[in-house]
Amino acid sequence: MDEAVDTQSAILMSATALLRQRTFEDISYLDLADAVSVSERTIYRRFPTRSHLLEALGRWIEAEHFPMQGFATPAEFRAAAQRRFRAFEAEPAYAFVAARGVSLSPIADGTESPITSAISAMVRGAAPTLNPRDALRVTATMRYFASPLFWARMRTGFDMNAEEVVAAFDAAMDSVLPTRPKANRAA
Amino acid sequence: MSGAPPATELSATEEKILGAYSELIEEVGTDDVSFRLIALRAGVGERTVFRYYPTRVDLLLATAAWIERTIFTRQESDSVFDVPLAIREAMEGYDRRPELAYVVAETAMRGVNGAEPAPHRERFDELLRSEVPTLGAGERTRIVAALCHLDSSATWVTMRRELGMSGRDIADAAHWAAEAILDPIRHRVG
Repeated sequence: MDEAVDTQSAILMSATALLRQRTFEDISYLDLADAVSVSERTIYRRFPTRSHLLEALGRWIEAEHFPMQGFATPAEFRAAAQRRFRAFEAEPAYAFVAARGVSLSPIADGTESPITSAISAMVRGAAPTLNPRDALRVTATMRYFASPLFWARMRTGFDMNAEEVVAAFDAAMDSVLPTRPKANRAA
Repeated sequence: MSGAPPATELSATEEKILGAYSELIEEVGTDDVSFRLIALRAGVGERTVFRYYPTRVDLLLATAAWIERTIFTRQESDSVFDVPLAIREAMEGYDRRPELAYVVAETAMRGVNGAEPAPHRERFDELLRSEVPTLGAGERTRIVAALCHLDSSATWVTMRRELGMSGRDIADAAHWAAEAILDPIRHRVG
């Protein structure tokens, strides 16, 4: 079992390294097989389609290159997300693959990611009286705005640099954070 | 045919090819569809497909744009304060055609020319300028950006896969979030 996990990691590590020179589309299974010194069949067995590969690679890159620092309060969450946006900016090719990986039809089993669980716990802690429905809306919105998808859209759709992305994220969080006193909460 | 593809004027042949590919995406996914199969389904020669779309990426980008325009259509909002409702309807549309929603989401995130990460940007900006003229440029951009981010199949994808939410809950959450984004300027209309 250990050996199986290692092959998988070796493939993803090689794919990540190849992304420094070319786009995901230009990385063939044969390139990967050569880089890892296994047969092309082994790559196909792990990743039957390129979508499998892209999804696994996106998750791998997010975990290995862009880990989000732990947070318990909304302020810590914001700081951690902002730090990650700056990290995306420093390695844009990786960040785009991470963004693409999470926007695919899911193939791997859909276990909740650690960031999602942490946001969920943070929202419960910051607003313990919030009803479950509103808590879910807040959690879902924060999760989505903290993702590499937000960074990718701000960068390609709005030509924003890292600091502008951070400011846009901040403004959105001001609107949805439950702890922020608002003039008109009921509506 | 490469470069900036025209937003509307597609030939009948192009329409047939893009329609055929989007059908096949729903049946077998994006990966396993050969140009041969697309040509067969579209009733054109394989060379014709290559002539219009030299690479798979060209074809995919064109197909995603076509899907947005013809399948995920909706009424244009007359006011920026109608946008949350339009977003709710968009989410319901994605929920009816999940495979196509994934394709549109992934394609928009490529960071390459031809990908369309914020298709409603101009419209939202225009509405805000006319309805809330006192907004500063920075604040306006941030509101447009947040609304564009919400008005996207990626919203549906993320809430579905990260939180396991149902279509109804996603539509509700996206609607709520867009209302929250507009809340601070609700009383500044002028």
